[in-house]
Amino acid sequence: MKLPKLLQAVLVVVGVYIGFKLVFSVGLHQPIPSSLLTMYMFFVVVATLLVTTATEESAKEMSAPIKALVEDPSKKTIRNIVFVLVPLLAAWMTYSKLAPSFEAPVELRTIHPAPPSSLKAYGKSFDMMKLENPFSKFQKEDPEKFKVLVKEGGDVYYKNCHFCHGDKLDGQGQYAQGFNPLPLNFQDVGTIAQLQESYLFWRIATGGPGLPKEATPWLSAMPVWKDFLTEDEIWKVILFLYDYTGQAPRSWAAH
Amino acid sequence: MKSFLKIMLFCILVLIGFVGYANFGIPQVKPAPPPTEEKLDLGNMTMDQFIALGEKVFNGKGTCTLCHNNVGKRAPMLDGAGEEAVANSAPLRLKDPRYKGKATTPEEYIRESMKEPSAFVVATFGSDGDTKSPMPNVTTGSIGMSEAEVDAVIAFLQNKAGSEVTVKIPVGAPPSAEGGAAAPAAPAKTPEEVIAKFGCGACHKIGKEEGALGPDLTHIGKSRNEAYLRKGILDPDADIAKNCPGAPCSPGMMPADLGTKMTGSELEMLVQYLVKSK
Amino acid sequence: MSFFSGFKRLTCLTLLLSLLFAGGFSFTSIPVFANMANAEEAVKSEGTPTESVKEGEKKAEYPPAPKLTAADYPQIGGFNPRILVWIVAQLHLWFAAFVLAVPIFVLIIEAIGMATKDQRYDNMAYEFIKVSMAAYSITASITAIMGGLLTFTLLVFYPDLFKYMASLFSRSMLAYAFLFFAESASLYVYYYGWHWLEGGFKKWVHLTIGLVLNFVGTVLMLLANAWVTFSMSPNGVDPATGAFLGSEWDVIHNFLWNPLNLHRVIANIAYGGSIIGAYAAYKFLSSSVKEEKAHYDWMGYTANVIAVGGLLPLPFAGYWLTAEIYAYSQQMGITLMGGAFAWLFIMQAVLIGALFLSVNYYLWCGMGRSEGSGRYTKHIWWIAALIVGCFLVWFTPHTLVLTNQELKALGGPYHKYLGPLGIMPAKNTAVNIMIIMTFLSFTLYRRANKIATVSWAASGSAIQAAIFVAAILNIIFLGVYHGYFTNTAYKVAASIPQVLSTAVVIISTLIIDSMMFKGAKEVGPLRWGKVPDRSQYALFMLAVSFTWLMGLMGYVRSGIRQHWHVNSIMRDNSIDAFTPTIGVAAQVVTSATVIFMAIVIFIFWLSNISSKKSAVH
Repeated sequence: MKLPKLLQAVLVVVGVYIGFKLVFSVGLHQPIPSSLLTMYMFFVVVATLLVTTATEESAKEMSAPIKALVEDPSKKTIRNIVFVLVPLLAAWMTYSKLAPSFEAPVELRTIHPAPPSSLKAYGKSFDMMKLENPFSKFQKEDPEKFKVLVKEGGDVYYKNCHFCHGDKLDGQGQYAQGFNPLPLNFQDVGTIAQLQESYLFWRIATGGPGLPKEATPWLSAMPVWKDFLTEDEIWKVILFLYDYTGQAPRSWAAH
Repeated sequence: MKSFLKIMLFCILVLIGFVGYANFGIPQVKPAPPPTEEKLDLGNMTMDQFIALGEKVFNGKGTCTLCHNNVGKRAPMLDGAGEEAVANSAPLRLKDPRYKGKATTPEEYIRESMKEPSAFVVATFGSDGDTKSPMPNVTTGSIGMSEAEVDAVIAFLQNKAGSEVTVKIPVGAPPSAEGGAAAPAAPAKTPEEVIAKFGCGACHKIGKEEGALGPDLTHIGKSRNEAYLRKGILDPDADIAKNCPGAPCSPGMMPADLGTKMTGSELEMLVQYLVKSK
Repeated sequence: MSFFSGFKRLTCLTLLLSLLFAGGFSFTSIPVFANMANAEEAVKSEGTPTESVKEGEKKAEYPPAPKLTAADYPQIGGFNPRILVWIVAQLHLWFAAFVLAVPIFVLIIEAIGMATKDQRYDNMAYEFIKVSMAAYSITASITAIMGGLLTFTLLVFYPDLFKYMASLFSRSMLAYAFLFFAESASLYVYYYGWHWLEGGFKKWVHLTIGLVLNFVGTVLMLLANAWVTFSMSPNGVDPATGAFLGSEWDVIHNFLWNPLNLHRVIANIAYGGSIIGAYAAYKFLSSSVKEEKAHYDWMGYTANVIAVGGLLPLPFAGYWLTAEIYAYSQQMGITLMGGAFAWLFIMQAVLIGALFLSVNYYLWCGMGRSEGSGRYTKHIWWIAALIVGCFLVWFTPHTLVLTNQELKALGGPYHKYLGPLGIMPAKNTAVNIMIIMTFLSFTLYRRANKIATVSWAASGSAIQAAIFVAAILNIIFLGVYHGYFTNTAYKVAASIPQVLSTAVVIISTLIIDSMMFKGAKEVGPLRWGKVPDRSQYALFMLAVSFTWLMGLMGYVRSGIRQHWHVNSIMRDNSIDAFTPTIGVAAQVVTSATVIFMAIVIFIFWLSNISSKKSAVH
């Protein structure tokens, strides 16, 4: 038996929805955020409508049951039920959207906010546009020295940073779970691999309090490292971060 | 007409959809307001501190004392006593028939003289019949003083002259592009930086700088050796050159304290640079 | 990359030619704006002959960029100067894009007509330029009015900024005015010479005039682009003071000029197609005569093909522009993609998705014109599924909006599986597959009415299918491998083979198709005009989305300068220096779109009246 087109469409939409829920919540244990799922489903519904109305026949098939519902005298009972249910559903959705709840408001946090154009630290001003790691050049010029520098950076890291960012640089340090936001996972391709070294220097030197407003400086637990580390130590630890994770800073040299 | 209305309705609905999504579908991030132009401490500064800042700039970053000293007589004294002080002589100069600037008050006159030194050249200190001043505009180039620093220097000069300080502490202006005169200068990394840092170009023709008071150094490596040049920096009055453009060279013109101000590497960089300038 | 350098050469050439045009006119004479540049300031800096720190400062006759305070911005009436200038500038841009796009469109159609020897194309090109000639002269004058209005509002509300820009671009502004004149002249020759220059060699002459017309139009746009990109990536001025260094070419040829040029030229073609598509759709819906319906259906289809042709390479041009913005300034790049504007790109993704979906929908609906389409309609659903799948990846944001419960469930703000979809490699992969699928829709549409008669038809189709599958797999492999398992330098590099894969699919399919369907049997005559009205709304969707999207991207292009009139040279110290939120920007853009649509509809209505009148005579 062939299912009516409208029912097919509804089934497809419901199937996709359940599929998303199953795969992400049950299968991967990482549920899709509801805000995103809403948008996903919106476009799934739109696309389903587009596909089912692309040809004249299927468009007729699609609209036939709706037409029948509205016009066919024999469907009076079901019509009345639907006409009561639909406004109720809309009312319920509006109510549940507007009803106050105990949920804390969603706070939007920009993880990588735009850096300032210049940075003041160590009694001088760094031009973020031109700032470069003074040690990067040794990677090619003097690999031996570079290795030593990376090792020194590693020492700095394990003395200061690994408590939160983890000994594998994966953001899983001993204290990590105590923080919200969590310490960043440097192994993730979405973090340091997306950034230039000057950016890391800025983030390490000024820490959480140095974040701009959109990145909620009041939440971050990152210390202001320029008060504890020297300029060279910060540059060395940056070398270490990239070296350990096997990432390279964002650069346009290859371009 | 019906189809026209239908189309309009459709387009308007699409637009409402877009604007609705932009307003309610995605979070509204309020971009940070424009930074107030770094106040630093100007907001909290007392007039005394402001005058102290001016003195620091006058003796340091501004490189004013390179010429405005009573040794070389290259430029009029500014911070002397009585008539010598520019803050006191300014009213007279404003009335001078040779004056061609736009200033009406002493404060404006001093500010103008820093930015457009040729607006009035004190007799005997200029070229072309005292119409052109050898002084650079201090807000540009390697000196690059900010408006606030210019004001601070005016406050310092007025205070030093014992006249009323008419300058207001500016609010919301950066004291300097590089983080203020207070910041100790970092050691220079290239000879060009050394030249810029110590303001050699204010008097000498060197590199891209075109000073016209001291000897031309662009080809100095041809005629002088390394030892002579090093000594020339550390003890400038030991041997006075004879080929100054303009008036004859005189002892005391070049600051004698470069040896204490420069780091070892800066001195060596500069000497090597000069030796190679052939 | 040689393409880009080739492009650079081309733009150099065009500029050189424009210099020749303007040579006798303005280059030896005194810049018209010289009296505007503050003469006193010029005197001021002449008084510093010894100041000679940087080479350029030897040319001390140029004043530095003015430093402004809030008092320097006139407040007149209850106007919000920024929103006023914003809307006027946006309208100017749309009309200018339209005015430039129509000749591009007409020229392409004329060339197609010449190549295929199909008189219909030539007729349509002529008809379009005839119908739009009335519209065009109004549009051109509206563009001129808008341009004048823009100058006026800038002069009134941002006098110092205008003076500064005028002092830098004095010559090119003059050249601009002159070229505007040349544009109109060549347009009239092109239009009135249409029938006179027909057939054989004469047609070539006519085509050349069309080329000159488009060339002048493009140079006009390039000049205007220079003003815009200068404010983003200033060049040719002293970085400390903003004083002009003496070479106007340096000021024009700034860092972001060419990337923006490429982006805007391509977008113009797509935009012209979409607006004309909307025009055809309007005529289609409002007419009841069968022949007319068939004609406008065909016109809408052709316009749509051209719009799609422009739409497909557009993401890559945009990608290049963004990469160059990043390369110019990390701060600008992050402000654009990761900072306050990150959500704008989700909005943009939704709009681009809407564009792709409407284009595809139009093609699917269009299969109804052919009786042979039944063979292919069964494929629509999985093409749609793939496009939607890619589209979902395309708009997945890097920063997710999470409730606290979700935060807990995820163990942090990062989503392990969706997070990686938020960065560029995933987007590149998605957009390439979306383009390939759109092209597949187009291929199926073209086949709907044909039956191949060559003996190797089956194996030919199999080869094509294999190329499609291989290219998609390759794109996914490149995206996943280079995007997630190598470092950033490769990430940029990976996008190039991805684009090449897409290009290979498109070119090879077109070649095989042209061979396979040589002398193919037609299933039946194409029933132009037999498309559902729904499909025409897809064309409106395309035009409206395109217009709105241009406005939105204009906001962000301008917004990433933040509180600068000219980035890091001249600060905006007006009370409106803050950056508005996306919601506010969307409201402004929507208002501007409504004004634009109203004027365009009015123009179409006017031209309708005039063409009806001439039909009576």
